[in-house]
Amino acid sequence: MLINTFLFPGAIDVIVRIGPLAPTWTGLGAALQATLRVAAFALSVAVFALTTPTDQLLADLERRGLGRRGVFVIGAAIGMIPRIAERASEITDSQRARGLDTEGSRWRRIRGVVPLAGPMIVSALSDVEERTMALEARAFSAPKPRTILRTLPDSAAQRTVRWIAGIGAIVLVGASIAGLVPLP
Amino acid sequence: MRGTSYAYAGTRLPVLADIDLDVEEGRVLAVVGPNEAGKSTLCLVAAGLAPASIGGRLTGSVVIDGDETLALKPHEAAQRCGILFQNPATQLSGTTATVWEEIAFGPRNLGLAVDEVVERVAGAMATLRIDSLAERDPNRLSGGQAQLVALASVMALRPSTLVLDEPTSQLDPSGTRLVGDALSRFAAETGTAVLIVEHKTGLVARIADEVAVLVAGRIVQRGPSSDVLGDPVLEDHGVDPPPAVRVGRAVAAAGRAADLVGLDLAALESEPTG
Amino acid sequence: MTAPAILLEGVTFDYPRGPRALDGIDLRIEVGQSVAIVGQNGSGKSTLVRQFNGLLKPTAGAVSISGRPVGSRHVAELAREVGLAFQNPDRQIFAGSVRAEVGFGPRNLGLPDAERGAAVDRAIATVGLAGDEATNPYDLGFSRRKLLALASVLAMGTPIVVLDEPTTGQDARGIDRVQRIVADLVADGRTVVAISHDMRFVAESFERVVVMRDGRIVFDGTPAEAFAQKSWPTLASTYLEPPLPARVGARLGLGATPTEAALVAALVARAGSET
Repeated sequence: MLINTFLFPGAIDVIVRIGPLAPTWTGLGAALQATLRVAAFALSVAVFALTTPTDQLLADLERRGLGRRGVFVIGAAIGMIPRIAERASEITDSQRARGLDTEGSRWRRIRGVVPLAGPMIVSALSDVEERTMALEARAFSAPKPRTILRTLPDSAAQRTVRWIAGIGAIVLVGASIAGLVPLP
Repeated sequence: MRGTSYAYAGTRLPVLADIDLDVEEGRVLAVVGPNEAGKSTLCLVAAGLAPASIGGRLTGSVVIDGDETLALKPHEAAQRCGILFQNPATQLSGTTATVWEEIAFGPRNLGLAVDEVVERVAGAMATLRIDSLAERDPNRLSGGQAQLVALASVMALRPSTLVLDEPTSQLDPSGTRLVGDALSRFAAETGTAVLIVEHKTGLVARIADEVAVLVAGRIVQRGPSSDVLGDPVLEDHGVDPPPAVRVGRAVAAAGRAADLVGLDLAALESEPTG
Repeated sequence: MTAPAILLEGVTFDYPRGPRALDGIDLRIEVGQSVAIVGQNGSGKSTLVRQFNGLLKPTAGAVSISGRPVGSRHVAELAREVGLAFQNPDRQIFAGSVRAEVGFGPRNLGLPDAERGAAVDRAIATVGLAGDEATNPYDLGFSRRKLLALASVLAMGTPIVVLDEPTTGQDARGIDRVQRIVADLVADGRTVVAISHDMRFVAESFERVVVMRDGRIVFDGTPAEAFAQKSWPTLASTYLEPPLPARVGARLGLGATPTEAALVAALVARAGSET
């Protein structure tokens, strides 16, 4: 926002002069455009993330053919995030207790990379080995497709809205490229 | 197992040498021994995960339910023999929202019909008396509860044998008691053949019918649990006898054995004290 | 009177997202004492010992180590006085050899080379890993790695040594060795604090037992007092049980007998007084 407003190249319609700073209207316009694009993208992702419970999403993807490995990888990756954070803080605590300086000068802190990353990697790898065996012990590699426990309700109205939204988006993009509709 | 030897992939020396071992339906065989004797390896070989899942060289015969493990694929072995490890956290898939779904993981992998899945989950939870945990988040259970859920998920595959590798070693005393109580009912009630590796010989005394001692990859002793656990040579092998045996010996060594007559030390050890 | 090794006054600690892990803890540990901290998971034991070396700072109350307040001192500085050995060695081992791993702590403390070499050798010998100086830690089994982690803290030569579950995962020989190490540290005048749920280890190796429940200290006394019958309800409230010798002693009306040795002594004494 600030960069575009103040430093847009070639613009001469200055809003006000404050010493070396010279914000321009064109710059402001470009800034607003860029911000809106980012916001639109971020908001749509956020709405999706907030309204879609992970397990339902994964269950539906599996029904549509994603396969148990895909579902497991995604689900486990998400589930692992808090565990990884916890493990990282355990490792950091252990090394700090042995005198590793994480609060002092920057150069001393850089020396901490190997003692912190090393155990992280090793425990991640041994974790993988243990988890693999636990999965095998529960027949993860069995050939038949997994039993589907539930199907998410999907009314005709929802399907219609999805089709309209999809087609509508394509039409809008096409119109914009063709110059018929000026889109930000 | 008959004449079984096993070496991990990429190593020269076998970790297990010439093992003869069998476990019958409804009976519990405990394996004790010093650390690094090969007890965990024994579990992996007995359950068929080695070599099928992790590679390595197996010689001799390992038979589960009539089939050689070398001829079985991992998921086939899993249906015949369940295995439970020490760490509750890595055994839960981490992808399920409720304990019920976690236990259903195994049966679903087999592609069983929905009714069958439901029945198996209910059965496993009932056997382990964890029906009250059905709607809980598996990631928020205590260590002991998590181990019971992991055990239920394995039992849902209805294996005829169960192998347990130090299931209580990472649990606190209350978790140990929870899992220990569940196991002591288990073999008798379900007719499963159980092989358990454990350090806590007090627990072994409570739940095992027979005990085998594994030292440096070989079975050096085997027999009914009271015989083996009461044998003085156990300490030479680096295994701690159960508290009841230790106290009995210490008192006898001081010549006061008569004072303990009439006391059932083992029972006294497991009495609740609340 | 000498300053206590560890002093906590009215210490309360809340984790950032809510749970109150410590609630008004008053604890005074004198130099050279051996103290066991027991209680179920979640009672606050780990949170408590992390106050000793500054990994966690109290939300309220004050902590002093060797007579000096901890305040906002860095963990790296407090590591000179308080060595803390964690439960899971695999969360700290990163070096390619036993020697390098044990040397990590002393090097961080800036010990001069000669002194450091000697400290490392002594620590390696104490835990029974002599001869394995060049071995890769992951070629050792888990219980020996745990002893390695212990050695790396011992080599730092701190006056206060704190052990988190030192006997978990150890076989009989390993537990024996840990007991000997604790005894040697105490004989050397160091202050030893251990978290454990092995009640026999606690009864045999420590002169004082602190029982925690829900972030509070609910009992503080000798093992004899802690495992005496009148304390059993307190123990049960935090899911702990007395070791067998104490139960036998209670059943036979012998008074407090927390260890096998105490039980035998009591039986012999009673027999002696009957004749």
